[in-house]
Amino acid sequence: MIKIAWLYPDLMSTYGDRGNVITLSYRMTKRKIANEVVKISIKDNPRLILDADVIFMGGAQDKQQEIVNKDLESGKGKFLKQVIEKGVPGLYVCGAYQFLGKYYKAADGTVIPGLDIFDLYTKSPGIKAARLIGNLIVESSLLPGIKLAGFENHTGRTYLGKKVRPFAKVVKGFGNNGEDGSEGMIYKNSIGVYTHGPLLPKNPELADWLILKSIEKKYQKKVKLSKLNDEFEKKAREYIIGREL
Amino acid sequence: MRFYFSLLVGKLFVFLSSRLGLGNGSTWPGHVSLKIDGDMIEKIFARNPATKVIIVAGTNGKTTTTSLLGHLLGKLGYRVFSNREGANLVNGVSSTLVKNSDMSGNLKADFAVLEVDEFSFPSLIKKVKPDVVILLNLFRDQLDRYGEVNTIGSRWFFALKNLPKESFLIINGDDPYLFFNGNEFKQKKVFFGVNKKLMELKDIPHDVDFIYCPSCQTLLDYESLSYAHLGNYYCVHCGFHRTGIQDFYEEKIYYPLEGLYSVYNTNAVLSFARFYLKIDLKRASHIFRSFKPAFGRQEEIVFRSRKIFLLLSKNPAGFNQSLRAVNQILENRQANFLFVLNDRIPDGQDVSWIWDVDFAIVKNNIKSVYLAGDRVYDLAVRFKYENKKVLTYENLKLAVNDVVNKTEKEDRLFIIPTYSAMLEVRKILLGKKFL
Repeated sequence: MIKIAWLYPDLMSTYGDRGNVITLSYRMTKRKIANEVVKISIKDNPRLILDADVIFMGGAQDKQQEIVNKDLESGKGKFLKQVIEKGVPGLYVCGAYQFLGKYYKAADGTVIPGLDIFDLYTKSPGIKAARLIGNLIVESSLLPGIKLAGFENHTGRTYLGKKVRPFAKVVKGFGNNGEDGSEGMIYKNSIGVYTHGPLLPKNPELADWLILKSIEKKYQKKVKLSKLNDEFEKKAREYIIGREL
Repeated sequence: MRFYFSLLVGKLFVFLSSRLGLGNGSTWPGHVSLKIDGDMIEKIFARNPATKVIIVAGTNGKTTTTSLLGHLLGKLGYRVFSNREGANLVNGVSSTLVKNSDMSGNLKADFAVLEVDEFSFPSLIKKVKPDVVILLNLFRDQLDRYGEVNTIGSRWFFALKNLPKESFLIINGDDPYLFFNGNEFKQKKVFFGVNKKLMELKDIPHDVDFIYCPSCQTLLDYESLSYAHLGNYYCVHCGFHRTGIQDFYEEKIYYPLEGLYSVYNTNAVLSFARFYLKIDLKRASHIFRSFKPAFGRQEEIVFRSRKIFLLLSKNPAGFNQSLRAVNQILENRQANFLFVLNDRIPDGQDVSWIWDVDFAIVKNNIKSVYLAGDRVYDLAVRFKYENKKVLTYENLKLAVNDVVNKTEKEDRLFIIPTYSAMLEVRKILLGKKFL
């Protein structure tokens, strides 16, 4: 049984994020891989995180993020770090991506410490700078030969340290900071990104990558996933890539 | 002098846009008048102290509520004007004023009922100093355009704090965030909602924005919910709870539209009727019987002898409510559906919100699903996860044609479009003849 841990579904699901969880579960079920979605939020036992085989955490608004930060600091953050370091695969979008880094430096200079799991930091460009909003097209070395498509909407500019590598190269859009052409990061089997949309439904190859990693990690063996019919997914993606490029 | 000149030029543009067929929605007259005199909105209202101004704000239901208020006031014999659909930004409001005033800036109206876009709300109420403000709801909507809902809310409350004491506020009290902040205001206020008996949801749905206590940040408990985060909430930690809500449940009111969201809109109007106009609600209820919905809002269109319902749906909370209204209209019958998803500026360019829509609400009512719009395949992917077979169309006209042909004369057809798609669909159904 593959356990899909969905962290803070009631607080960190701003941009249709549940689509990512639905996709992971559906693509496993279609292949007869037993799976279960475990929702973990404020009231839940932090140790549930230790049983996760694949993790998803989405974006939040500022107020909700504050509530989550407090909860993570008081227990769940420690377990999350453990499983990420062990190589449990996961996808962390927008707010989650930022908060798992070292810190967030707000417009007024206040430094909000993060969980310090990923070697990266995020800073606000100042109140006058524009939010980075729009369709985002990227190419990832994890999935050579294809372009991934999604949407981004963030103020923070993220800069990567040496212990992580970029998830993708920006083809169209802004990505991590709008300057260095990188989008997201990879650390062990964890992926952090700004791309929502949600990311996985329209980019099923990435969903499959996470599924593969979770099976390999849990059962310690190499497997091959059977092909599914992804006609609509590809058409949806091709449409937006065609329009943007 | 500048003021009169701005009116004159504005009126010239009104004339030109009607001549050029730009339609009533044109915001050019307001745009140019404001360019000439940036304070023309303040000046017009200062000149017309007898004209009471009602501002209607909220994510969903503005147009319907504004038109129901206008209908009520008109039938009661008041002289009233409103801004039309799509003219709810600052230049739209000033266009409406240009059109409804004479050359000296006199309005000759008892009431101006103005719907106002979430973003323009703070700057407009500063200019207008409304007598009545109605806050319908606040949901996530077009995050790429409006930003996060908390940010919108803070801007609203900041602006409302500065209104004069005599202003009258009508606020949705089933929304814990609006209720909590509304209670802080020193102005006269009424909280409306729906009766607990109409709240059918026991579990918190996922299209919610505020389910943590606005006072102490603890997860709220709900005895039951009506939709999204609206419901009968209480906080076990600090005792914050819903109280003093006007729901008009015992009044035997005639509700002119289907769906719980329409009960909310109507109850907002009833709060105004009872507590501001101080009229007998029997009169209001009677007047509601002759109300026709604003275009695209549960609008019924007969096209090639088929009865088509058009339900504009542009964000998760509104969409889920549309689907529940469809359920009510259909009862246990089945119907064909055409969903149209565009991602243009007025729709919001980010289509991720369709993942927060619960299409399963109408699962048992679906005969066939037709999909169209700029982002038709995004919809197709979404429906794949509902295990529903769909027919996809890159051409909207073709989609409309096919779904109409496949709908028996006695059957119903529901078209559920985003904003720009709704305009396109109406043009196909009502505009120039085609096919």
